This record gives sequence, C-alpha cells and structure tokens, in this order.
Amino acid sequence: MKILVLVKNVPEVAEAELEIEQGALDLEDLEMVVNEWDNYAVEEAVRLTEAAGGDVHLMTLGGEDDEDVLRRGLAMGAHSATHLCDEAFEGSDPTTLARVFAAAVKDGGYDLILTGVQSADLGQASTGVLLAQELGLPHATMAIALEPGAGEVTVTRELENNTSEKVALPLPAVVTVQSGINQPRYVSIMGIRKVRKMTIEMLEAGDLGLESQALGREASSVAGQSLALPPVGEGAQMLTGSLDSVCGQAAAILREKGGLA
Amino acid sequence: MSGVLVIAEHRQGALREATLECLGAALSLAPSLGGQVTAALLADDPQSLAGELQGRAHGLKLYAHPELAAYNPELYLPVLADIIAASQPSLILMPHSSQGMDLAPALAGRLGLPLVTDCAGLSWSDGALSVQRNVYGGKAVLDLALKPAATVVATLQAGAFQAPPAGAAPTASDRTALTELAPRHARRFLEYLAGVVEDVDIAEADILVSVGRGIGGPDNVPQAQALAEALGATLSCSRPVADAGWLPKSRQVGTSGKTVRPKIYLALGISGAFQHQAGMNNSGTIIAVNSDPRAPIFQVAHYGIVADMFEVLPKLTELFKG
Amino acid sequence: MNPLRMPFWGVDAAWLFYLLAALDMACLGLGLWEKISLWRQGRRAAPAPSSKQALGPALADVLLGRRIWRGGRIAGLMHLMLLWGFLGLFLGTCAVAVDHYLISFLHGRVYLWFSAGLEACGLLLVLGLMLALARRWLLPVARLERRPDDTLLPLWLLAVACGGFMVEAARLAATAPPWGAWSFVGYGLAGLFPGPEAARELFPWLWWSHALVSLGFIAWLPWSKLAHAIAAPASLYLQGQPLAVLAVAAEEGDLAALGLRHLLHLDACTRCGRCVEACPSARAGEPFSPRDVLHRARRQARLKYSPLYRLPWLRGRRQALLERDRAAGWEDAWYCTTCRACLEVCPVQAAPIEMVRKLRAGLVEQGSAVPPPLMDTLEKLHRYGNPWVAKKGAKAAWAAGRDIPDLSRSGQEADWLYFVGCTTSIDTRAQGIARALSDVFTHCGVSFGTLGKKEPCCGDIARRLGEQGLMEEQIEATRDLLNGRGLTRLVCTSPHCFDTIKKVHPLFLEEGLPLRVLHYSQMLHRLWRQGRLTFDHPMPLKVTFHDPCFLARHNRIVDEPRGLLGAIPGLELVEMAEHGLNALCCGGGGGRMWHEIPGQANLAVRRLEQAAATGAELVVTACPLCLIMLEDARKTGGFEDKFGIIDLSELVARALRLTAAMDEEAV
Repeated sequence: MKILVLVKNVPEVAEAELEIEQGALDLEDLEMVVNEWDNYAVEEAVRLTEAAGGDVHLMTLGGEDDEDVLRRGLAMGAHSATHLCDEAFEGSDPTTLARVFAAAVKDGGYDLILTGVQSADLGQASTGVLLAQELGLPHATMAIALEPGAGEVTVTRELENNTSEKVALPLPAVVTVQSGINQPRYVSIMGIRKVRKMTIEMLEAGDLGLESQALGREASSVAGQSLALPPVGEGAQMLTGSLDSVCGQAAAILREKGGLA
Repeated sequence: MSGVLVIAEHRQGALREATLECLGAALSLAPSLGGQVTAALLADDPQSLAGELQGRAHGLKLYAHPELAAYNPELYLPVLADIIAASQPSLILMPHSSQGMDLAPALAGRLGLPLVTDCAGLSWSDGALSVQRNVYGGKAVLDLALKPAATVVATLQAGAFQAPPAGAAPTASDRTALTELAPRHARRFLEYLAGVVEDVDIAEADILVSVGRGIGGPDNVPQAQALAEALGATLSCSRPVADAGWLPKSRQVGTSGKTVRPKIYLALGISGAFQHQAGMNNSGTIIAVNSDPRAPIFQVAHYGIVADMFEVLPKLTELFKG
Repeated sequence: MNPLRMPFWGVDAAWLFYLLAALDMACLGLGLWEKISLWRQGRRAAPAPSSKQALGPALADVLLGRRIWRGGRIAGLMHLMLLWGFLGLFLGTCAVAVDHYLISFLHGRVYLWFSAGLEACGLLLVLGLMLALARRWLLPVARLERRPDDTLLPLWLLAVACGGFMVEAARLAATAPPWGAWSFVGYGLAGLFPGPEAARELFPWLWWSHALVSLGFIAWLPWSKLAHAIAAPASLYLQGQPLAVLAVAAEEGDLAALGLRHLLHLDACTRCGRCVEACPSARAGEPFSPRDVLHRARRQARLKYSPLYRLPWLRGRRQALLERDRAAGWEDAWYCTTCRACLEVCPVQAAPIEMVRKLRAGLVEQGSAVPPPLMDTLEKLHRYGNPWVAKKGAKAAWAAGRDIPDLSRSGQEADWLYFVGCTTSIDTRAQGIARALSDVFTHCGVSFGTLGKKEPCCGDIARRLGEQGLMEEQIEATRDLLNGRGLTRLVCTSPHCFDTIKKVHPLFLEEGLPLRVLHYSQMLHRLWRQGRLTFDHPMPLKVTFHDPCFLARHNRIVDEPRGLLGAIPGLELVEMAEHGLNALCCGGGGGRMWHEIPGQANLAVRRLEQAAATGAELVVTACPLCLIMLEDARKTGGFEDKFGIIDLSELVARALRLTAAMDEEAV
C-alpha cells in the first residue's frame, strides 16, 4: 500500500504562555513541534505498512525550518518526503492549500492519504476533506481506527457522546486521523540523525504549475485577520490571597454549592 | 441570493441539539443580511425529527429517503447542491461537529464556496461575513474578516450560540420524498458503535473533580483521587489525560467524551479547550484551578484560582478530610 | 623401590581411551571456540581497554574469592574449597601429562608429596561439593535456584572426584605399594576391597567408568556454568577498566553489538542470585530481576552471534527462540533504578547495569516500547532542557530575590560554578536545597555563581533512559557553555549531575578545559575542615542518613556527609540497617522519577520503613530525587507523625540559623 501523510509543524502552546505582537503570535519563545494529530497519522501509516508492506510518503507545506517535521516522520519509519516551500504559499486559505496539495499529489498513485483531523494552531479541520474534493476521492474524518481490506478501508469515526460509527471507503481515499488512534512511537535523536542524509524533494509553486496569483492572500477568502489574547478571567470571579486563603474560599464555595458538610 | 441555510443534524433517531444553536445564530444574523432562515433536514423519516425545528426557522425543507437514516456526505452533497442552487443562500451554517467537520469542507470544496470553520462569533456587515474563532487550543482569539462572497459555508463551535426559544420564527415546511439518490456512492455507512461502558458514569455525578494535562502523569492521579474521595466526588478528565491513558476514556469530559452537568465541576490543571468546555459549561458551579491566568477555562468558570494545582490539591484535601 | 606413578596400570585398550579423549577434546574445543568467537565479535563492536593496574585486584578477587567471601562466609568457604581443589587437581593432571610425555619427574619424594597434595585437593573438592549441595538443598538460601543443572553439575563433579578416589583405592588394594599411605584417602578406601584379587578384577571397570564420567564432564564444561572459570576472571579484570566512550548498541530494541566486556560478563555469571537479593526492584516484588535480564541477554547474544546457530539445522530453533524473546519484549528494563546494588554484590562484577542502559538505548531508538510518560519526559528534555516543565528558562525562578551572579553572562565572575540541576531548580520541594545551599555558600564566603536561566541539563536523565543522542547533545551544549565562559570548577546539588559530569563528560571533552567537579557535600565538608563552616548552635536531634546511590555506591562518598552531621553539636546519627555502600535505593533513579510502570512498588516506602526502625526524628539525604521520593513516601506511607525528611544542605542551613532557610517548609 502506498500511503501519503500530510504533516505540519506547529508551535507548541499546551503549556506555554502566548504573546501576541501586532495581531500575530510571537513565536520566539515557542517550540515548533509536529502537529499532534499528524503525528498519530504518521504512526498509523507506518504501522499499516509495517503490517502489510508498502511505502509511506510525507508531505508538508511550510518554511525552510519546517523540514524538521519531515525528518521526524522519516525517523518514525516513513520512506520519503516532499517539502512544498514557496513564499507564494504564505497567507493561503485552506481551500488554496488543498489546491496546492492536490497539484503535488495527483500523480503520486497513492492508495491512502492521511492527515490529522486538525492542526493545533488554527484548528480549521478542513484541509484533508478539501483535498479529497480536489482529487475527487472519497473521504472520512475523525478516524479512531483503520482496517484496510481488499480495495477498501474500514474507518471507525469518532462521534459525539462516546459513540462512533464504522464506514467503508473504496481506495484510494482520504482519511483524517483523530488523536488517540494509536500510541505514536518515540523519535530519538539518533533516529533523526540516521535520516539526516535522506533527500527530501523540494517543490515550489512553479514546479506544480501554479501561478502565484492563484495563491496566497490574493486568492484567499479572508480579507483581514487579527489575533488577540482572550480577556483574563472574564466571567470567573477570581479568588485571591494567600494559598491558604484561596483554598479556604474554595472550600466554602464547595460546601455551599455542593451541600457538603 | 439571501438568507441562511442551516443543515440540520441528527443521529440514531434524534435531532442533534447543536442544530438549534445554529438556528439561533442564523436567526440573530438574518436581519442584518436580509432574508430568511431555512433549515434543511435529510433523513429517512424527517417529520419525526422536525418537531424541535418548528417555530425556530422560517422555512423547513424535509428530504426523505430510507438511506438517509445515517449521515453520509456522498448522499448529502448532491441534495444540498440542489437546494443551494435553488435558494442561493448567503450563508450556510452547520455545527462544527463530527458531521460538520466531515460535510462542510466537502460542500465548500464541491461547490467552490469560501469556508470558515469552528466559529464562536459571527457578524455581517457591508455584504461580508466576519467571524471570531478560538485558536491555539483556546489560548487566543482570531478575528477574521472575509471578502464579500455570494455564499459562505461556516461551521459553529459547540456551545457558542444559544438555541432560540420555540416560536422565534413562524415555520413553513415542505417535504420532498427523494426517489433516487445519485450518483451511486463510494462511501458506505456500516454501523454505530456504542462507547465502552465502565464502572462509573461521570454524567451521573453531583460533584466532579476533573483533571487536565496539568496532572503531569499517572503518578499524580492518586492525589486527585484523594481529593475526589474527600469530597465524595467522582474523578473525570480532559481529552489529553484520556488520550495518554492516565484515566479511562469513560472519564473524559467534552464533545468527544461525555457531556456533564454536575452541581460542582472542579477543574484542576485544565486549560479549557472548547471541545472540553462544550462538555461541562452547563455545570452548576465551575471552580477552575490553573497556573496560567489566561487559561480559557476561566472564561466559563464561576470561580477561578490562579495557582499550581499541586499546591491547592493537598490543602483542599486536608480541609475535607475527616 | 622408587615410588612412581603408573599410568594405564591394569588397563588394556589405551588406544580406545585416546580415541575417546580426542573426541572429548573436540567437544571441549567446540565449546571454547563458540565462546571465543562470540567474544571476538564483541571485541569488534567495542574493544575493552586494558590496564596493568586492574590486574592485581582482579587476581586477588579470583584467587582469594574476596567478593564471594564478603557476601557470605559459607559461600566463600565453599568456593575456595572448590576453586583450590579443582585448580590443584587440574594443575596435578597437567603435571602428570608433563611427566608422562615430556620430562619424567614424578618419582621418589616429589611423587609422594605430589600424591598427598592431590589427595588433599580431591578431598577439598569433595567437601566443597557436598557443601554446595547442602546449601542448595538443606540450608535455606533463598536466592539460590534449583534448576536441574544446579544439582546435576555438582553431583557429576562429585562422581568424578569420588570415582578417582575409588580407582586409586582399587589400585592400592591390588598392588599395595609401600608408599600407599601417602595417598591417604585412597589408602583408607582400599580397605573396602575384600582382597587384592577382587580389587584387580574390579579395577578396569572402575577405571573406565571414571574415565567416561570425567570425559563427559570435560565435554560439558564449556557449555555449563563452570565456563565462568574462564569468563569470571576476565570479567573481574575488565570491570576495573575505565569507561570507554559509550558505544550504543541499538538495533530493533535488542542487544545487538555488545562489547567484549559485556559478553564476558554474560558468561561470568553463575546465577548465584546475589543481585536479585540486593535489587530494590526485585526485592519489592516487581517483575524485574537483574539475573534474568543478564541471562536473556546471554541467550540473545548466543542466538544472534554464535557460529553454531548459523548451522542450517539450528536455524529454525534460532528463529523460534528469537521470536519468543521479541514477543516477550524488554520492557522490564524500565524497572531498573540504576542504583548499582547488584554490581556491588556481584562476585564477578557482571551485574547488568550497563546492559540495562544498552537495552534502553535499543528500546528508545526503536521507539514504540517507550512508556508514554517517559516519552513526555524525553521530549521535554529535548525541547525545554528539563524533564519537568514545558517552558524555557524555568531554571532561575528559585533564585528570585537572591543576588547570585549569572556566570552565563560575560562580565560575571566567580570561583565556583554552582550547577543547580533541573530538579533542584524547578521542583518546588527541591528548590529548598538550592536556596539553603546558596545561603550556606554565602555564609561561608564562597564566591559562586550559577548559569541562571541558561543552565542546560547535564545529560544524566537522557543517559539513564538510553537516549544516547540527546545525552550527547546536552553534554556538547554544556561543554560549549562552560568552555565559552572558561568555567572549570563546578559544585553540583544532585549526585546524578555530579556523576555524569564527572565521569561521562570527560569522555566527550577531549578539547575542553579540564573540569573539577564536586558534590556539595564534599564542598561543605571541605569548608568545615578549613574552618570556614562552623556550627555554634547545638541541635539536639536524632537523625538518620539516607545515602543517595549516586553518592555512595557510584562515587564512594559516604564519610563526607556523615562528617558534617557529626560536626553539628547535639546531633545524634543513627544508621539504618542498610546504609553507606549497602543503602537501599529510594526508587527515584534510572528515570523512574518520571514514569509509572505496571506492577511498580513504592520503593521509597520500603526505605522509610528502615528509617522508622531507627527511631530518628529526621531523615537526612543529599539528593533532590531522594528528597522528593522520600517526602512523597512519608505522606503516602503514613510516616507523617514519625519523622521529617530534610536535605543535608537544608539541615546545615538550619544549624547555622540562616533565616531564609528557616522559612522552608521542611520539618
């Protein structure tokens, strides 16, 4: 099976305090990491090929530093990688990005294309499905299990309220992978060193036959955007004072509202 | 070319509540963009599901076919394309749910429409849509102004909009029985699977002590368990904790876990991603402890404590022990 | 009549014996060849250094059995009897061969003494074997297993020795030479034969059965645990060699490419089980045993690299066994706390600490058998330079309000670099150590600074968890920072940082400045001896000292902390049952601080049970990891009313009545 996985480098924000400068995120103190959902997707792809043979190809779109995310995936067991890197891509909306990916993917002969359900940065959760539409392929989102069969794949999709559904897709198909589908392996520094010499295919807009007018901000459906921090503690009454004091206050609230002795 | 089209969502014979939130958003936006709110419901037996839609939209379009019992984008897309071609709505809304995430980009891609997802706020001015989105795990807010477009597809964050009261809009409905669904589809719905049922039902608990990523690891779970025991509470968690296997999936609060409404929800080290908030924001009293004063959890909490949860945990446990 | 030896007396068909002996030698040779070819492959993977200095202690360990003796008198006695009995008989046999084939010298008085000597050796061997069997079957020694060959081997050897005596006895009974009494055992046994004729008749039967039993034993020798006779001396010698740059063994999570040293360790082990008895994890009932790790490694090495297993008809078996091992996995490698207790008691210095590290390196490189909490720790270490928080620059928070020079900046100078360490600078409980220590240094007028926010991780955690690449990166980063600022004198809070900076960093620091590294207990002890640290206020307290593994066992520092405790007037030190080099590990080492494994026990609670038995009011330690582990165990194990846990630095600060330290919540 030939599998393509789209991966993305994102700033790790889970435990970080964000700073915004002029309507954009200040990346200086943030570490760039593989998007959590994409990491699950790479692991799933590698496991599928480990079990049944085949190749895993990775693709990312981003700046020069984002090559790291491909090296990491190669160290996990992917076989080759493509880096779409062009200033013209900057400011593209998901629809345009899907068009770029489609141009890069269409002749690849992939049986299965995996992406993360969403990215940890803007969380638009749309690139994978848009790509499926561009390629005219069937898709399924929120996969928490994949079982490849003859010419098709059975996908268990996570739904709300602790339920899920099983759907079958004929191959080739696009599937977006939900976190928790597997336990991604650890990627050691040695592992990354070992793939340092692997060649990564670099492609620019021109290589894909795309005109720069059809890309970037010009082609985006977004006219303007600005990022801000949410207001501090809006809504919550903040308990202040020494640790003992706030704990005392919290205990009083718990007693009152919870009817505790 | 006007009005809002809401794609109704249903599963296993029940309308999904998030549809009503979309209708609420649509009704409040409709005056400014001019036009009416229409809900489209595709189902095997749409009439039986339409009750809650009555009085909450101006128009109701019911499409019936036995195969529409379960959602399948490939059955939905041609039907929706016809509706859109006929009614030319300015805005198409659906929940940012497992179905909305699956359907909205496909619809936008198929029809070449602009798409914005997971919107927490919507406004319309000068023929263009502006939206507010929570990004970076809810740690920042992104305001997006869209370029003017004939039709925009948007999905709405769960819990961000209020369902309108019944009777907010007089409803005219029409029903179309679909005789044929074309083309023959590639994706097949197989079956629903119920989640694993475990010993504890967190949805039944009066008090929940809920831990997030801040718990750090399974080693620290007993500390939280001790507090839960002292309070006579049940222990629950956010998605990262369940994903990591530190607590079973059945303890997870949030859209992909369980929706809970305890009397007291004590959130420890939970930053409050919106998929989590949507599962607990109707709790009686929410007390949040987080070391980051900007943690989004403080926006839904009634009381907030900015502190290291490991300093608060033992003190609180002490106060309720014995 | 000149007393002399009579080879092949009364035996016909000597040619048959020679034929059998040749076959036997082939079997012995095959066994030795297999071992040597395995060892040679290890040599290619990582040659072991060799130095003359290690020779003396190794020889003493071998010939006197010092390490065995230390672990138990009876075991020591048994081994000495077997060793000298066996060695004597072996040398005697060699002498006979020389006499028979080369130069004849065994006649007259020499022969008589020679005979008597061999009698004594035989007797030693027999008694030793009986003692060995008794220890396994009659005296309860829990650590000893009762595997079939554990019984068969001594019985067989007993048959060899007794058979030898019977052959001799028959010969003496038949020939009754005047010097017969010199062979005192055989002479005594000769009386068992009814007469010379009967003895003569029985003799060939006895002789041949003895020959066959002996030949069989020799053929079995290299395949049995008696192969340790060759491997153990080599193992003892090599363990005394300095650490080489740590080559990684890593392929598919198993033990590929073990060095010569480790392959010899594998064959040196006789399964005596002292490591199991000493291991804090095994003792606590966790599913881990150093002995099992070692023997699985040994089986793996054999399956993979033995020339015998390349034979076509063994290939299927090899595959099946490898598959079974692969399915079982090596996850138990995560239980090891790297406390070194196993190596401390191992008579042949073969316990698998380094092997565990290599196993982990394999697991880390392969990636999917790394427990998720450890992945998280390693990722934090990689991205944020500490195992605790996903935040850069978290390492200076403890020093808020203290004016400590930041030596990572140019223009800031001090005599000593205080290397605080990740845990001490970040964990809220352990931060107390940093504050206390900096106050004590200031009090004593020590010129010191830290690396502030820029302090890197020394690489210890990565090293213990087998993340070789990360360890190298961290060591390089530390070296660059130290060299760039010309810093050469370090004092560490954590025995873990101390150990790694002292022992591992130099291996990577060829071009770097020579480092001088102290643990803070050494530093404070020096200050006290120099009179710069004096204790004027009495502190009437009964305390016990928990030796951190990386201070005591790994670096032999046991007197300095005790010296400091003794210097505080009024303080009474009571020792726990296991202390100093035998101290029981708190369970925080080897990366176990950062993860949870199925079936894990609370090792620190077991340690505190020993502390409680002393009646001490305070448990003192000198390591941030020990401090955290013991502090947690104090709460979870119900020791809260019994005693407090304090770091030595905090105790010193309290004894000096340094106000800032008095604020600490410790005790």
